[in-house]
Amino acid sequence: MGERSRVIYFQVLGLQAGELYLWTATSVKRFLRNFLIGPFSSQSHSRETCSAARASSNMASVSSGFPFNLPVASLLLILLLCLHSGGGQKKKENMLVEKVDQMMEWSSRRSVIRMNGDKFRRFVKAPPRNYSVIVMFTALQPQRQCSVCRQANEEYQVLANSWRYSSAFSNKLFFTVVDYDEGADVFQQLNMNSAPTFMHFPAKGKPKRADTFDLQRIGFASEQLAKWIADRTDVQIRVFRPPNYSGTIALALLVSLVGGLLYLRRNNLEFIYNKTGWAMAALCVVFAMTSGQMWNHIRGPPYAHKNPQNGQVSYIHGSSQAQFVAESHIILLLSILNTNASWEACIHYFPYMISRINQCEACIQ
Amino acid sequence: MAEHHSVSDSKHKASAVNIGASLSGNGRSSPAGTVGSSPTGALSTGIAQPAGWQSLLSFTILFLAWLAGFSARLFAVIRFESIIHEFDPWFNYRSTHHLTINGFYDFLNWFDDRAWYPLGRIVGGTVYPGLMVTAGLIHYVLNLLHITVHIRDVCVFLAPVFSGLTSISTFLLTRELWNQGAGLLAACFIAIVPGYISRSVAGSFDNEGIAIFALQFTYYLWVKSVKTGSVFWAIGCCLSYFYMVSAWGGYVFIINLIPLHVFVLLLMQRYSRRVYIAYSTFYIVGLVLSMQIPFVGFQPIRTSEHMAAAGVFALLQAYAFLQYLKDRLTRQEFQTLFFLGVSLAAGAVFLTVIYLTYTGRSTLYAKIHIPIIASVSEHQPTTWVSFFFDLHILVCTFPAGLWFCIKNINDERVFVALYAISAVYFAGVMVRLMLTLTPVVCMLSAIAFSSVFEHYLGDDMKRESPPIEDSSDEDDKRNSGNLYDKAGKVRKHVSEQEKTEEGLGPNIKSIVTMLMLMLLMMFAVHCTWVTSNAYSSPSVVLASYNNDGSRNILDDFREAYYWLRQNTEEQARVMSWWDYGYQIAGMANRTTLVDNNTWNNSHIALVGKAMSSNESAAYEIMRSLDVDYVLIIFGGVIGYSGDDINKFLWMVRIAEGEHPKEIRESDYFTPQGEFRVDKAGSPILLNCLMYKMSYYRFGEMQLDFRTPPGFDRTRNTEIGNKDIKLKHLEEAFTSEHWLVRIYKVKKEENRDPLVHSPRSSSSRQKYTSKKVQDPPRFSNGEL
Repeated sequence: MGERSRVIYFQVLGLQAGELYLWTATSVKRFLRNFLIGPFSSQSHSRETCSAARASSNMASVSSGFPFNLPVASLLLILLLCLHSGGGQKKKENMLVEKVDQMMEWSSRRSVIRMNGDKFRRFVKAPPRNYSVIVMFTALQPQRQCSVCRQANEEYQVLANSWRYSSAFSNKLFFTVVDYDEGADVFQQLNMNSAPTFMHFPAKGKPKRADTFDLQRIGFASEQLAKWIADRTDVQIRVFRPPNYSGTIALALLVSLVGGLLYLRRNNLEFIYNKTGWAMAALCVVFAMTSGQMWNHIRGPPYAHKNPQNGQVSYIHGSSQAQFVAESHIILLLSILNTNASWEACIHYFPYMISRINQCEACIQ
Repeated sequence: MAEHHSVSDSKHKASAVNIGASLSGNGRSSPAGTVGSSPTGALSTGIAQPAGWQSLLSFTILFLAWLAGFSARLFAVIRFESIIHEFDPWFNYRSTHHLTINGFYDFLNWFDDRAWYPLGRIVGGTVYPGLMVTAGLIHYVLNLLHITVHIRDVCVFLAPVFSGLTSISTFLLTRELWNQGAGLLAACFIAIVPGYISRSVAGSFDNEGIAIFALQFTYYLWVKSVKTGSVFWAIGCCLSYFYMVSAWGGYVFIINLIPLHVFVLLLMQRYSRRVYIAYSTFYIVGLVLSMQIPFVGFQPIRTSEHMAAAGVFALLQAYAFLQYLKDRLTRQEFQTLFFLGVSLAAGAVFLTVIYLTYTGRSTLYAKIHIPIIASVSEHQPTTWVSFFFDLHILVCTFPAGLWFCIKNINDERVFVALYAISAVYFAGVMVRLMLTLTPVVCMLSAIAFSSVFEHYLGDDMKRESPPIEDSSDEDDKRNSGNLYDKAGKVRKHVSEQEKTEEGLGPNIKSIVTMLMLMLLMMFAVHCTWVTSNAYSSPSVVLASYNNDGSRNILDDFREAYYWLRQNTEEQARVMSWWDYGYQIAGMANRTTLVDNNTWNNSHIALVGKAMSSNESAAYEIMRSLDVDYVLIIFGGVIGYSGDDINKFLWMVRIAEGEHPKEIRESDYFTPQGEFRVDKAGSPILLNCLMYKMSYYRFGEMQLDFRTPPGFDRTRNTEIGNKDIKLKHLEEAFTSEHWLVRIYKVKKEENRDPLVHSPRSSSSRQKYTSKKVQDPPRFSNGEL
């Protein structure tokens, strides 16, 4: 299967004769590794293995490994032998083809190519290139404690997969990732001191200012990334998110659980008519809403704020336009106390509420 | 059901005597100062002759609540003057004006060629006409009686007058739900609660002002029709619903809440003929009536938000049919039929739900992603502070009222509980929906307060012969702590409670009453304070206060709009950002390109593109749109933060959405991703049309000796481009504090001068001499 697709790929590329030699050599060695060494070797694609493969006889590997590919392979071999002599001056193009090929192969395995410093310099920085590369600089190791990186990585994976499995997939665009712990030298080289960062390395020339994705302003949703990529490379990616079934499954579980419980207790369904239970449930909704849980849900504020200077933890936000989660928990508690305790008890808590509202009013003024 | 019902009815009657007693407390707490109505005298006689005094008292209290609500809303009119104070209602005013001059049918067919030039707008088919028709009708009746008022005054005072009607309908609804005392308290609450005042001050001529009345009245009639099961009340409910549909888009809340109520009643096995009659009548007549509004049209049978009503209608018919069959068939036959029916119905419901979620998601997606919708600040979730700010102690007491309602459930209390839960959810999601929450909060708080007062204010005479049913509320109230998990009450227990009740002593009673009254007093003070400071500051005029407390009024907006009205030709077209479209049309009576009815995103994007391009590119756009004048709002002189430079990023964003090749948001930021107007700002920003028009000749102006010339007070920076030359525009008018600046778009010269020809210098001379001839109006800001 690999062979046929490579042939088509070959035609699409429209490679010249000199490139053909190299192409054949790499394809042969790829087959060798994939089918003979591949299962035994680890994920690291070391160049030594490749060169060893090249050193060993092409003929032997083809004939022994792929008898079913023999006609095609021998045809290629003939071509290879014919062109062997005239390929010297096109070394640069050879290199390019080799690189494209290597990149294609990696991206056929994983939609996002992991890179270390060497690979980055060789495949992204080094000049002969006819493809664009999107690089995410990140720090995914757990000890770095970068939660944003993880979220950004998920979005990036969604985008890369959408590209990988789209019908427009070609060798014009690759998605790669450089982790700080694997390529700290790259970070230093690019003068980069924050992660995650998305950069676009265009096919020609150096990256400009707009080739760095403005994470702070736009966010890292994959749709935004796709828009930015379309802007920079003219490659349109339609983001396809894998549907999230977890909510549905949880709901189904809940429904079946409740249904099961009801079924088990079908002889004694009195508790459904218990007004207290329903009243409790209604009050829960009301308290949750009036204490601003919906705001927390939509805006996602921090639980509390710790002042970096004096280490004071403040649970109540200074302005009336925002709040912390802790704040709404306090309010939740207070209002429950207010309502459920007898009417006398609520009076003790009102001074607090009043002082708080006075503070807010002062803020507004 | 019927049995349950009569019990609750008799309860109301039995406790009627008690209400007279609790009224004195209510009266004192109401801000109108019912204190003057001699409560003690009324009370002593009231016991002797309950019915007459009671109705007189409730009438008085309702009247005073109306008066208090009306006068609390007049701050803006008294401090400034009797005009429409907000910007958006200028459109409503303009169309009301059109209605009174040209008549109703002409209004329905009105094609407004003054808006959305060159497209125009069909106004009659794209507005909810209820507000205009109401105001027009009042104006017509008054003039028929030879009371000659201007339509403007009718518009200004419409919302305060309707607040009185709202409090009356709230009274009626709460009386149906609980009792008369609670109703009166609810009426007082809603008259002054800030959450409702925010949308109904005098001078804010907005749909919500009359819609809340229609909402409450529809609910009252619905509850009434469910209680009585008479077609008469159901038809009344439909008519009120029709009025609501004609007034506000929030009618969707009604058409979902009432079916929900019916559905929950079915689930609770509270189905009865009354519910069947009420809902069938309401759904059919209400549907037909709501489709009479041109703007609504066929939406009720097409869109997903109306589908719940249709589904519940079908379900109710099926349920009634099953009930009918149950009487006719044997048990075995009925069971098979039932299972068949249920499985079919389940399949149908499943398919509809899938369909609805599918269609619903796309609209939700659009709502999130269109920048125009995101740019409106009202579409934000609510913090607890705004709950407390708008409702004050009611937000703490209304859960208690909800508790009482659920504990003593009946058909109509199911309704109010559902209303409370759904409204509190929507209010949590979006700030502006606080408005729909406010009435139910008032009603439930009134129920809570009323039961407390009933408990602690009841005089001992009445205690001796308490009606048996009556005790259930108080019983709960008294030891709310201990009784929560008791399923049913035992009669013996009640009598025990009565004994402890007598031991409560007058001291505790009076202390608790005093504290309750203090709370209510604080509520009244808070309401007045909020109304006065937060909700009564008009946006048409700006007020600033000096150190000695004297007030300056900056009347730049009206100054500029009257300049436009007086000094430009009748058909002149004014380009501005969409926020100011209604005002220009209403106050200046000139044609606008875009306005607050943001129906055409691409047209707005075109204006945004013109504002964010450089001058020559913008000139092309302006010429293609026949623009004569450009109006911008600039706050840099006085430090007004809502000006166009601060809104500018939204213009860029909206323009980028439609023209991604020409306009890029990132071009307007510094490399560090900041939006700056000083020297470090991006050069594209510093040369775009909006920047140039805002800061034209601002660099020459030194506001203060401590700051350099060209110091922007809003953004607290010195501007980056002080030497601004305009080629295709000329300054036509700048208001006193530079708040409004108007530029005239020059007509094209005969031919574009060639750059290298010798004649070009002469034309440039001519250009400068023109500027000297007609100097723009400047004055130093006094602030």
